[in-house]
Amino acid sequence: MSLEIQDLAWGHPLPGGGWRQLFEGFNLSCPAGQFVVVIGSNGSGKSTLLNLVAGTLRASGGSVRLEGRELLRLPEHRRARAIGRVMQNPLDGTAPGLTIAENLRLAECRRRSLFSPRALLGLHPSRADRRRYGELLEMLGLPLADRLETPVGQLSGGQRQTISLVMASLGEPRLLLLDEHTAALDPRAEATVMELTDRLVARLGTTALMVTHSLEQALRHGDRLLMLQEGRLIGDWSAAERKQFNPAALRELYGNATVQQDPPSPG
Amino acid sequence: MLAIWIGAIDQGLAYAGLALGVYLTLRVLNFADITVDGSFALGGGSAALLLSQQVAPPLALLVAVALGALAGTATGLIHTRLGVNDLFAGILTTTGLYSITLRLMGRSNIPLTDLQLALDRLPDLGLGSDGRWLVALLLVVVGLVGGLALLLATDLGLALRAIGNNAVMARSNGISTRRGLTLGIAAGNGLVALAGALVAMYQGFADVTMGIGSLILGLGAVIVGESVLRPRTVPQALVAVVLGSVLFRAMIALALQLGMEPVDLKLATALLLLAALGLGRLRIPGVSDPGGGR
Repeated sequence: MSLEIQDLAWGHPLPGGGWRQLFEGFNLSCPAGQFVVVIGSNGSGKSTLLNLVAGTLRASGGSVRLEGRELLRLPEHRRARAIGRVMQNPLDGTAPGLTIAENLRLAECRRRSLFSPRALLGLHPSRADRRRYGELLEMLGLPLADRLETPVGQLSGGQRQTISLVMASLGEPRLLLLDEHTAALDPRAEATVMELTDRLVARLGTTALMVTHSLEQALRHGDRLLMLQEGRLIGDWSAAERKQFNPAALRELYGNATVQQDPPSPG
Repeated sequence: MLAIWIGAIDQGLAYAGLALGVYLTLRVLNFADITVDGSFALGGGSAALLLSQQVAPPLALLVAVALGALAGTATGLIHTRLGVNDLFAGILTTTGLYSITLRLMGRSNIPLTDLQLALDRLPDLGLGSDGRWLVALLLVVVGLVGGLALLLATDLGLALRAIGNNAVMARSNGISTRRGLTLGIAAGNGLVALAGALVAMYQGFADVTMGIGSLILGLGAVIVGESVLRPRTVPQALVAVVLGSVLFRAMIALALQLGMEPVDLKLATALLLLAALGLGRLRIPGVSDPGGGR
């Protein structure tokens, strides 16, 4: 298995007092190269699951192994060396004051420490780096190859998310985490980003976990569909099994899950 | 009259390291670092002590830089390891540094009247001692700006800029924000301590209180430089900061020329900075934010 989650545990205090144990004994296995789509209502734990894997949140117990390597003991930035992430907010995934080329350079260097003497050798992004990035963006059909010197802050939300996605695919990631990465985009930008997502995941052959609220996306993308409710898996369908659903049926199931999880009893 | 303006330029160049250090911590790392008040005096005091013991000036400068970097490291570790807010971390270090500098100096003031700097090997540009200082300081500042511009264009520099720009993005791309912040704050305070040492050498004495208000001076230089040059690239920003340091000193010299009492200097400095912040509508992270007033 590429990604192996065992007995994952995590909870948080409730605003009015008490404790909510969202994950308890959570298990998930994903073979190498599998594109897994995760759906569930707000508060079901979808994004939390991704944050626990990425290290943004600290699990209180269990194990998360990526290609056999335990991740839970590693700090977030060390995990990031093997994980490409695209976050929900286009503003989170890129450095707005840095140019497209500089952002891509950072992502490309993800696997090594940039605070070592080696990181002082050479000026980057170099001309060769820029040529490489230009070719990559052209190959992906993105009209940004001639804007490598543009600060990312000057791009639209869709363009920034596109750059985030390209960044996540650089540096040979072993796992892609896509956290509602089209949620803040208009339908046109969403279609562009999802089309790019499919191509990048297929090109990299990397295991990917994509969280989404879009049932259309859930039915159209990925090799496997998971449904979460209150930190538990209540549905796990292969791409073939998923064909039993039409959007209305999935919406009904999704709606039921939303009703059942609401409201969690404090304490 | 000319001597006053040359003196102001010399002082601006001597203080350029302070401005560059503040630029590095505040603008590059987005970290409001009050440590500079302490590390400036530490640099000046330590260099003065060594020079008074006949230690070679380059070695005295190196020691000052190392001690400044150590002070910055302390602030960085307090902030990143203990989770203390940036302002409090700086205040803690600066407070401690006052005693450390005083202990190091052994007294509150060290005069450097007999200092032999071998500046007479440099051309005096027809301006005498001030001209030689001008050449010497220009060489140092050009070296600093060039070195910093190169550093910030490496992968390490890119990582430091990413941390200040978007720490979430930096971490999600494998960059240790803890290590980067500590390293950057150390480098910034090394520059500030170098400025302290150069100022002590230029003015011929070091005083344990010489660091008070340094952050404001550095910040003033950054703001004035940025509002004059409107830099778009990192090297342009570094040049702007140096220019700002010189202009800031020139403004102070002008104020003194116009009859301002030296006792009012700090108030004038603060008002000057306030005017630059207010009129320039500059967005300085953690310092000013248009529309951010409550």
